[in-house]
Amino acid sequence: MNTREAKEVLLLYRGPVDDADPQFREALTHAQRDPELAEWLQEQTRCYGAIRAKLRGVEPPIDLPQKIIRTRPILFRRNWNEILKLAAAIIVSASITALGFKLSERKSHPIAQGQEILVRGEVLDMTCYIAYNLSGQEHASCARDCIRSGLPVGIKAENGKVYLLTGKAGKPVNAELADYAAKVVTIKGKESIRDGFAQLQVEEIRKF
Amino acid sequence: MSADLEFENLVKLYYRDLYRFGFSLTGSEADAADLTQETFYIWASKGHQLNNPANVKGWLFTTLHREFLKMCRRQKQFADESIEETAHNLPDVPADCLNRIDSRTLLRMLREIDEDFRAPLVLYYIEDFSYKQIADVLAIPLGTVQSRIARAKIQLLRRLSETNAPRAK
Repeated sequence: MNTREAKEVLLLYRGPVDDADPQFREALTHAQRDPELAEWLQEQTRCYGAIRAKLRGVEPPIDLPQKIIRTRPILFRRNWNEILKLAAAIIVSASITALGFKLSERKSHPIAQGQEILVRGEVLDMTCYIAYNLSGQEHASCARDCIRSGLPVGIKAENGKVYLLTGKAGKPVNAELADYAAKVVTIKGKESIRDGFAQLQVEEIRKF
Repeated sequence: MSADLEFENLVKLYYRDLYRFGFSLTGSEADAADLTQETFYIWASKGHQLNNPANVKGWLFTTLHREFLKMCRRQKQFADESIEETAHNLPDVPADCLNRIDSRTLLRMLREIDEDFRAPLVLYYIEDFSYKQIADVLAIPLGTVQSRIARAKIQLLRRLSETNAPRAK
């Protein structure tokens, strides 16, 4: 290696941070034997240090870290075990309600038959809504998937009241409602209440 | 350690370095602050996907650089000037010249260097990354990193030496 080649290699040499890098080893050894090259190298590393110090002297705004921390997004990490447990609980609850509804029908109970009402509101995936208060367009895709997969579906009326939606004789209406997830629809159906839990037996769905 | 505390510690540890990198790339305090903020925002959303915690710093610099490139595409503020292919002799940059120029002048000179060359040069100066790490951060081959740094460094030193040259009357 001659001095010119050594200079080409040492052009990138920064100082101690590069001492472990084998690409500089031979050129550094050469510099130890060549005083002129050693002087040139010393000047280069001094120049590197001066430029580095200037660039590292730039200080960010004092409030930047607080701003970053304040605007940090809070991640929603789903606990699928909890969701499945909750879904199971809702399904069991809905089944019991539907069974009760059917039994009441046999007894011609007036409450079980319910009043026919019109409810306009957003179609909900009940699992995520009850467990995590998730609804709206941002959650539409998940809601559609959940409803399509058979998880309980509901509707949140404009007055804030939430109904679990069921089909006739307790049959699910997921297939009919999945594409309306997070959308506003009007549903005609029979209202019933069991243990304070409002249900709507769907008769007709109208897209709003 | 709670996730909040972990995030705050990470911000305290790296926000200065990231801001300096952003500032050296953009030359704008506001853009540098935005890039730094955006980088940590992305970390908060996707950082948990990183398998090796030792790569956090590199991940943050890579993300900031990607965001910078996106910003450039939006603003179309690329410099057209290219770096000369070869340089046989390094210009002398007298000590007093470096003492006389302030950080802003240095940053202005950096911005006159094409972005492809500026980013590796800035990482070369402000961080203690190895050349391999710089290559990983910028997603370019090691050889390319080294040749870009060398050429950009020559270019910068030339500009610095010009500031020392006597002005024509």
